[in-house]
Amino acid sequence: MQSQPEDETVAGIDIGSRSIELVVLNPDGLLRSAKAPTTFDPLGQCQRLMEGIDGSRIIATGYGRKLFAESFRQVNVSTITEIQAYSLGARFLYPEAKMVLDIGGQDTKVISLSETGKVLKFEMNDRCAAGTGKFLEFMATALQIPLESFGEFALRSDRRIQISSMCTVFAESEATSLMARGERPENIAMGLHLAIVQRTFAMLRRVGLATPLVFAGGVAQNPCVIKLLEEQLGQPLKVPENPDMVGALGAALYGENYRTVDV
Amino acid sequence: MSNSHDAMWEKLNLDLEAHQGLLEVLGKFYGDIYMSQQGRLRGMEYLDFVLSEVHGLRIKELQDAKAAGKKVVGTFCVFVPEEIVLAAGGIQVGLCAGAEIGTGEAEKVLPRNTCALIKSFVGFKLARLCPFIESCDLIVGETTCDGKKKAYEIFSDYSPVYVMEIPQMKNACDRELWKSEVLRFKSQVEEVTGNKITADALKDAIHLVNERRRVLQRLNRLRAAVPTPISGRDVLLINQISFYDDPVRFTSKIGELCDELQDRVKSGDGIVPDGTVRLMLSGCPMAVPNWKMPFIIESSGAVVVGEESCIGTRNTRDLVDEDSMSLDGMIDAIVDRYMRIDCACFTPNTERLDNIVKMALDLGVKGVIHYGLSFCQPYLMEAYKVEKALAGAGIPMLAIETDYSMEDVEQLKTRVEAFVEMTR
Amino acid sequence: MLDISELQDNDKKVAGIYCLFAPVEIVRAAGAIPVSLCGKREQPIADAERTLPPNLCPLIKSSYGYAVTDSCPFFSASDFLIGETTCDGKKKMYEFLGRIKPLHLMHLPYSASEPHALKFWHEEILRLGGFVEESTGLEINRDHLGFQIRIHNKIRKLIRKISRFQAAEKPPISGLDMMSVMETKSFFVNPEEYISLLLEFIAEMEPIAASGFSPFQQDAPRVLLTGCPVAKGCEKTLRMIEECGGAVVCMENCTGVKGLDLLVDENEEDPFLALARRYLQIPCSCITPNDGRLALLDQLIDEYRIDAVVDHTWQCCHTYNIESRIVGDFVEKIHGLPFIHVETDYSNSDVEQLRTRIEAFLEMARWNSSACAQMRKPYTQA
Repeated sequence: MQSQPEDETVAGIDIGSRSIELVVLNPDGLLRSAKAPTTFDPLGQCQRLMEGIDGSRIIATGYGRKLFAESFRQVNVSTITEIQAYSLGARFLYPEAKMVLDIGGQDTKVISLSETGKVLKFEMNDRCAAGTGKFLEFMATALQIPLESFGEFALRSDRRIQISSMCTVFAESEATSLMARGERPENIAMGLHLAIVQRTFAMLRRVGLATPLVFAGGVAQNPCVIKLLEEQLGQPLKVPENPDMVGALGAALYGENYRTVDV
Repeated sequence: MSNSHDAMWEKLNLDLEAHQGLLEVLGKFYGDIYMSQQGRLRGMEYLDFVLSEVHGLRIKELQDAKAAGKKVVGTFCVFVPEEIVLAAGGIQVGLCAGAEIGTGEAEKVLPRNTCALIKSFVGFKLARLCPFIESCDLIVGETTCDGKKKAYEIFSDYSPVYVMEIPQMKNACDRELWKSEVLRFKSQVEEVTGNKITADALKDAIHLVNERRRVLQRLNRLRAAVPTPISGRDVLLINQISFYDDPVRFTSKIGELCDELQDRVKSGDGIVPDGTVRLMLSGCPMAVPNWKMPFIIESSGAVVVGEESCIGTRNTRDLVDEDSMSLDGMIDAIVDRYMRIDCACFTPNTERLDNIVKMALDLGVKGVIHYGLSFCQPYLMEAYKVEKALAGAGIPMLAIETDYSMEDVEQLKTRVEAFVEMTR
Repeated sequence: MLDISELQDNDKKVAGIYCLFAPVEIVRAAGAIPVSLCGKREQPIADAERTLPPNLCPLIKSSYGYAVTDSCPFFSASDFLIGETTCDGKKKMYEFLGRIKPLHLMHLPYSASEPHALKFWHEEILRLGGFVEESTGLEINRDHLGFQIRIHNKIRKLIRKISRFQAAEKPPISGLDMMSVMETKSFFVNPEEYISLLLEFIAEMEPIAASGFSPFQQDAPRVLLTGCPVAKGCEKTLRMIEECGGAVVCMENCTGVKGLDLLVDENEEDPFLALARRYLQIPCSCITPNDGRLALLDQLIDEYRIDAVVDHTWQCCHTYNIESRIVGDFVEKIHGLPFIHVETDYSNSDVEQLRTRIEAFLEMARWNSSACAQMRKPYTQA
């Protein structure tokens, strides 16, 4: 505790398939947070993000954590899984949280937490695009709507239609045929959002639905998904201000706890 | 493996080129998964040798035995009483396969949505890559799961299969059914081998198989020591080889290995760093060369200290009672012992839940990983109950559903790592 | 179809059954009413998937879903359930189902043709008898059992007779309608009243059949639908075949004629043994080997002058799915007929893909039928 200031900083970095998030903490609190797209050069992107934070502890999480740990050997690096990271981050932001839902770019995670915040059970969907952010991205492109406004666009629907295809590729064909039949694109968008929420709900039920439910990850910025989930849940979700930073935050917190335990 | 076996393989109608390819891939995998381990027991050299010669010298031994008049019986299930085969002077070998081989061939006759183990043994046969199948004088199937039951019908287009009816329940009438099936099997084996089974021969056979079970039980006790003295991978290999190797030699060699293990336990030598999470595996069996799951687990900060499946305690836990002197008494003892197998094909199979919980508590593991092969309905459906039972005992469980492919290795690693983090 | 009030207004116990293997004569002889609880709709499946793995036959999930949500009036009306160790999925599902209502599980021997099987199944039928007696408080009287055997034989013969209307050159009703008629055999309270209804129906049908009326086109390929059961709610494939111009003139499945030709020997001294003998012959794919199915298909292909065979199986039904190859080889090689295997579930997500396949298949069947026209028995022109 009496060491130089650099030793007191802890960084959490969440290297995902689409974006990389960084959170740096020191005993006073949040020092820095930053985000960058992963691109084809994730390590280069990490390098850029981490400028100026040498010497501190880094905890890496996400899809690219092993790659990061192997490449940044000169720094003090450990890794934890996204499950651990998201649960720590969510619990920190919402101390009463019982469940965490993370719909990311390429996977979806559901985590149930104990009274003390420990991971009780988890389930992941990382083999199929349907039910992940990829599905929405794909569909937004098909309907030629920018991804960031896809949720709002869907909220302008005037009726709910059911998309029956389970598969992302076929759902796109279905959306196209609906367009050809004159269906309003807003309604098609709503149907697609409904599909992803239905899949998510099945996962939530299998793990054991519990509230308060923290909704994190990139897709938590989609107002339509939030609305539909809250409808199904029957109560409001806990959505952090920066839902895609929760993993990096959790990783940094892990580093902090670890360091405190050491001392 | 030397090409001096080519002549033998050719006689067995193997596809030599493809077989050579298979052996090379197998060798590489083995190197990555097994030989890369640090601090292995010297006794494991025997297993390395047997594995390296599993299609070579072992097959030659079988061929020599056949030339001397012995018969080889191939089986796919721990239900088939090896004691009967041995008592008739036969040799029993396990034909369950653990590699994605001949999948293209297999998928011509089986639906793609079939368990990997079944597709594998059918694939091995159709692609002409298994010298064990080709060496069998009698191939025995059983009415265990739907997949196997119907797959044998397809398989019998290529090689005749004698099917034993395994009871689905464990009431008194089911025991009688099983007994009649054991006796029918006995007649079949006597016919194929040309030898009548005598009380003396059966007594010796029972003792022999019990001794093999005992040595594996001893291994299970020693491997559970803290710090873990032998990897889960190595114990899995030992169990897998028990289905292929000569029982007398195998028992003796593993006995030696256990002695070595005992010394290691005494001196407190472990093969994993302190704090490595101790886990147990449960569920579907892993046939040679399926080493995927233990490899993933042991590369994720944990070590496997027990297996509940057919290549673990389900196979070795129970002995055949050796008290009886009469043939009928011995048959009864065999019937009783085999009825205790707690495969998920049985219903309601509540004893399996008790066995798993007891085993997990005895081993003091931090968690249980339930391994289900995709499309294996019995085990996948039981996983729900196993989890509840373990939760009741305060033990977390991770349910994995996978196949033989390497596509999902990273995803599985993430799950296992997350589970290990959870259990710390 | 059966009105639920008929069940509820009765003072008799209701036995929920899930399979053709359940000996209904025993149930009725002990004073209970058997009713089929097989789930036919997609709706309850989501709830079933909280406990059962999603990769499971939709019929099993649907059945369990109804039970666990208590959303099926027939399930609610059931006092006890009867299950059998048929397929793995059902076998393990019954373990969960038995927690909701009392369930008696019959152990079906798979190697039905082996000597041990009959003796074993005979004992299982006796054991079932004991269970039903205990549940109803009524003893099974041998004479009454004999009466139930005779009356159910009669019912089987009548329904089989009804099915034969479709063997005509101009089938008088659609396969979809015939399916609805066939479904009634699992849902009647009073056997004698049911027989009257069947006789009435036959009387109505005879003139229609004689008139040569048919809802089908002249060149509609005559399709045999085999495989897993289909019923109202999950009749997607059958409907599709007929929408695409085919005529489903025969169904070789549990909903259709499977087992209708198997009568219980009324002269056998021990009625329980007679029942065992009959029920063990049901050609379900859970039996190994299932030679009875090929024999039945052989007979039906000739009887109904089939042009094409559609083997419809539910997703994850391992036994029928693996057996499909054996059936396909038989149909194609022995009978030289076009064959297609369709694997689907209760959802509508694959309707278009199904349509494409079936349309293409029927095109093939038409071509085949006209090409083989010379080789077939001449039709008597109406």
